[in-house]
Amino acid sequence: MIYSEVSGTLIKILVSKNQIIEEDTDLLVIECMKMHIPITAKKRGKIIDIFIKEGDLISEGDKLLEVVYDF
Amino acid sequence: MSWKKELEEKLIREKLSENLGGKERVKKQHDAGRYTIRERINILTDKSSFHEIGKISGSATYDENNDLVNFSGSNFIFGNAKIDGRNIVVGGDDFTLRGGSADASIREKHLKCEQMALSLQLPLIRIVEGSGGGGSVKTIETTGRANVPEVEGWNLVVESMGTIPRVALGLGSVAGLGAAHLACSHYSVMVKEKSAVFVAGPPVVEQIGQKLTKNELGGYEIQLKSGAVDAAVDTEEEAFNSAKKFLSYLPNSVYQLTEQLSTEDNPNRTSEWLIDAIPRDIKSVYKIRPIIEELVDKNTFFEIGKEYGKSIVTGFCRINGWSIALMASDPYSYGGCWTSDTCKKVQKFVDLAETFHLPVIYLVDCPGFQVGLDAEKKGTIKEGVRAMSAIWQTTTPWLSIIMRNCFGVAGAAHKRGSSYISRCAWPSARWGSLPLEGGIEAAYRSDIENSNDPKAELEKITTRLNKLRSPLRSAETFLIEEIIDPRNTRKIMCEFADLAAPLRKIGMTSRTMRP
Repeated sequence: MIYSEVSGTLIKILVSKNQIIEEDTDLLVIECMKMHIPITAKKRGKIIDIFIKEGDLISEGDKLLEVVYDF
Repeated sequence: MSWKKELEEKLIREKLSENLGGKERVKKQHDAGRYTIRERINILTDKSSFHEIGKISGSATYDENNDLVNFSGSNFIFGNAKIDGRNIVVGGDDFTLRGGSADASIREKHLKCEQMALSLQLPLIRIVEGSGGGGSVKTIETTGRANVPEVEGWNLVVESMGTIPRVALGLGSVAGLGAAHLACSHYSVMVKEKSAVFVAGPPVVEQIGQKLTKNELGGYEIQLKSGAVDAAVDTEEEAFNSAKKFLSYLPNSVYQLTEQLSTEDNPNRTSEWLIDAIPRDIKSVYKIRPIIEELVDKNTFFEIGKEYGKSIVTGFCRINGWSIALMASDPYSYGGCWTSDTCKKVQKFVDLAETFHLPVIYLVDCPGFQVGLDAEKKGTIKEGVRAMSAIWQTTTPWLSIIMRNCFGVAGAAHKRGSSYISRCAWPSARWGSLPLEGGIEAAYRSDIENSNDPKAELEKITTRLNKLRSPLRSAETFLIEEIIDPRNTRKIMCEFADLAAPLRKIGMTSRTMRP
């Protein structure tokens, strides 16, 4: 599971369900304190679910994506 | 007539104390993937260097002739030893005996361990598992009375925070006084999935309606984010190596200074890619850790508290062989803004540097304090002024390099009032009381509102002010001392480390640090 570590506005979703993601891939972009902060994959995985949509206000700790790493 | 018989009797007790809590308990410890305390000390310390104090202190039973029937050692083991040839004091709980609790402990051993490290002015490594010598409910029956709570010897712990390096390793479930010992350190480590840290464990917490596993309550992810623990590693061996690495940057006590190590890294090494390291688009972020790695002596950066207060990266490094405390903003977390947690992290780190006389280098990209409701609810301004005060109270040599943003009160905390610090800026630096973005609307509200075309008016003002905020214009009036070529940053840092070294002064600080 990927949770938000910052609060802000979700401005871009760069992945889709069932997509395989590689380590260091940008997954989402959150605008926070006027900066565009990418959420990146810490390791290779697969996107199972997306819990947010562009324009959503995000709080610290919000659930963003479900990712599996062993598949 | 010799004294061999007495020595033989002593050896019998020593041998018995090596049995720890007995074969079954030791097996259980191993089956859970954890070493016993004696194995831990053996792995941590240099071969045959451990000199145990009080090895035959424990609990003995005698027959009617006063001959020894059985002996069980105390569940706290300590002594002096060497790591990498350097003297230290190490003390640890034996979880195989009453889970490390006070029931099988001798309180004086804990006190003596603390006193020994403090008096000999040696680093202390505490290996904690269980309640760290704290009480359990069963104590009331074993002692036949209820005790009024006190933590005897905590004065030694408090004093040592300002005197000697304290490292704590939580290598299993750690609760109560054990958790206090883990938190009361300059550096603490857990082992992922095998350690859990809490004030009180799951059975107690269930009484208040929270049914949680050990990991859910006090696993490493919880405790690293909370800032209660500094690092988590995969194995006990890695925990020992982390302790050694941490100590390698510090003197034995505040009465010594760290020495310059030889380095093969050229102090004049330039880094071509740093000219492009900061994006021109002010909304874009960049990764700070590769920049840090580029600037310090190769492979010497040791990060502390990576998962906590993440808009500041803190750690030790070597610069031209000198031990340096390095802070750097991380724009990936709130754009580098100081959150409440960041402020607490800065307080502890700056105090740590001041305590052990490490010069500080700060790579600055701070747009200010975090703003918004979350920030207000977390008391950011209160923690912010505490962080600023910690910086203002330092006397250790200080170099700030402004890489990009430096705004507001938090931005001002890159220096300490009017006292001398070394300072320079990259050409990408931007500063002010408030970033222009967001500040213009407030400052020029009437101009914008009274304009026929508010949007065009805003753009006109922004363009005008952007020209004025060039760092070169600030340098012309000496508001900033120097604009440097980012590619030459390492050279500046090495020169600072050389200049700072003779200025370091031994002794305790006037305000000793709190954990």
